[in-house]
Amino acid sequence: MKLTLPPRMSPQGFDAAVKALQGAVGAGWVMTTDEDRDAYADIYAPGPETLWGASGAVAPSTVEEVQAVVRIANEHKLPLWTVARGKNLGYGTAAPRMPGSMVLDLGRMDKILELDPALGYCVIEPGVGFLDLYERIQREKLPLMMSVPGNGWGSVLGNALDHGIGYTPYGVHAKNLCGMEVVLGTGDLVRTGLGAMGNNQASHLFPFNYGPSWDQMFTQSNLGIVTKAGMWLMPEPESSLELNLDIPEVEDIGWVIDTLTPLKLGGIIDQSIFVPSWLGKMVILGQRKDFWDKPGAIPDWRVAELLKEHKLGYWKVQIRVYGDEAVNKAKAAVIKAAFKKHIATPMEEVWWRKGDPTNVMDTTLGVPSAVPLQMGDWVGGKSAHMGFSPVVPATSKHVLDQMNRSRKIIAAHDVDFYASFTIGGRFANNVNMLMYDRDKPEQVEGIKKLFNALIADAAANGYAEYRTHLGWMDAIADTFDFNNHAMRRMTETVKDALDPNGILSPGKQGIWPKAYADQRGKALA
Amino acid sequence: MALAAMLALAGCNAADQGGNAQAGGAPGGPPPLPPYQMRAEMAAGDRLHTAMSGEDLFSNRCGACHLDGGMGTNLLIGQQVALGRPPSMGLLTNRDDLAADYVKSVARMGKGAMPRQTRVDVTDSELDKIAAYLGKGK
Repeated sequence: MKLTLPPRMSPQGFDAAVKALQGAVGAGWVMTTDEDRDAYADIYAPGPETLWGASGAVAPSTVEEVQAVVRIANEHKLPLWTVARGKNLGYGTAAPRMPGSMVLDLGRMDKILELDPALGYCVIEPGVGFLDLYERIQREKLPLMMSVPGNGWGSVLGNALDHGIGYTPYGVHAKNLCGMEVVLGTGDLVRTGLGAMGNNQASHLFPFNYGPSWDQMFTQSNLGIVTKAGMWLMPEPESSLELNLDIPEVEDIGWVIDTLTPLKLGGIIDQSIFVPSWLGKMVILGQRKDFWDKPGAIPDWRVAELLKEHKLGYWKVQIRVYGDEAVNKAKAAVIKAAFKKHIATPMEEVWWRKGDPTNVMDTTLGVPSAVPLQMGDWVGGKSAHMGFSPVVPATSKHVLDQMNRSRKIIAAHDVDFYASFTIGGRFANNVNMLMYDRDKPEQVEGIKKLFNALIADAAANGYAEYRTHLGWMDAIADTFDFNNHAMRRMTETVKDALDPNGILSPGKQGIWPKAYADQRGKALA
Repeated sequence: MALAAMLALAGCNAADQGGNAQAGGAPGGPPPLPPYQMRAEMAAGDRLHTAMSGEDLFSNRCGACHLDGGMGTNLLIGQQVALGRPPSMGLLTNRDDLAADYVKSVARMGKGAMPRQTRVDVTDSELDKIAAYLGKGK
């Protein structure tokens, strides 16, 4: 990819900034070739990758180097786009919201600084991947169990900071963050929570500041660069029981949610409960053409055939309880009784006990895996996916309402319907995977139209996305419209105060600093 | 994403390797999935001039997808079988037809579902060693 300069920066200015960065982190860790720009592009970009093209990337290895990079960026007015490991697949990968931004790649900051099995937490840098942390826990045989997302290739902190979700009792990852170290837009360094006291002993254990608490302010945020943070980890349970059940019909999701939510709120089920539709199982069995060789969405009659052929329900309920065996047995009895009111099929029980082997895809037992990304191969060609992810109240009324509307819109755009609901508490994250072939311009255009239609429809009905792709960050921010977008106005006031030159991730989640306010609404999908 | 549906291809591969599959599995049912494959640890040192072996670097830098049961392995099994080759060829370490330059090109340019690797993901020095290891001197 050819060089795109940041707004208002001259080629000479860019060269001077690059030279200064090389002085700060070493020439080998400032990457500005066409090939480098390609590597930092969004491989799933809905449209040309150049829409969100980086000018290059810089990779510091210490917090001091991050501070030096930030000072240089201020001096040269070089906008940075911070990524942890840059594996935010489906939401933009490592690519910046504003073309020409320099990716600040924290992948080299990969130290596990503390790992405490007694109190169940770690302190890690942003470059630590799920695999890194998992393997360290295994090597040291520590009684800890991680919560991992669908894509285990990414960063533990990056995922939590972007509000990623997993499938254990610790599945709402942003809630596990406790005590951060943050480089601000001026290069200053702060620690949140009790860590604001230089020698505090409980920095990563107590979740509040003395006074206003700021941790969540740095999630999905361009208000600072998190250079390390505490993450709570679940003590490894004595046993775990998985209860599996295929749910036959699409509309059954209503009673399934109404059955699961009270169990979740009542403490019978602790995990974030993932309920995927059948296509989630199919995508790993082959490619779309193996099951349906025509363009356009797979028709309902063929879906019915496929479910029969592969002995699948429309939905898969996989509940996992964690803890002492006797407690798990008692919980299972309550869960089975609740389901028996709706369906005669008995639940399949799969026990796991401490010391038992796990397999390469045991994500609910905290094993990180990249295999779910295989769905990327489903449509063939240059396969890509995007997630349309509204948050809905965890009741049948809202789940069915949202699902029926989005399903109708997805069908009208002739795209396969692949939904999941993850109950994380009183809410469910409804992730709709939209898969397309980037080599087919008509599919790219179709997906964009579909995505816009889904956003508008959800917002009109009072549902918002929890996360989105670069190309829609402004559009989603626009849907938060209370009192003339009061929240955006407040955040942008804070942004300008903390980062006067607006150099940290301009446009992230629709927050634009004054310095780049003219870029709002540009480079949309 | 908890995917209980058995990965038939990964199972084939595990059986084909004769090694890592867990014991058991329902009689007549799909073969069990292999256990998590631990990667080699990264050694401390200058990644721009690595002293690590190609084998260890491959394990660590490529292992998220290209060990037994990994996403890349699963997809490559399908491709290799379609070409009339045994499922074991899904593991890059079993291949005898890879040239070093081809390995480097795929890592940097991407291929199919494989994304391009940045020079933080794998440095040029590391990729040289990995390519030589997988290319078996070609």
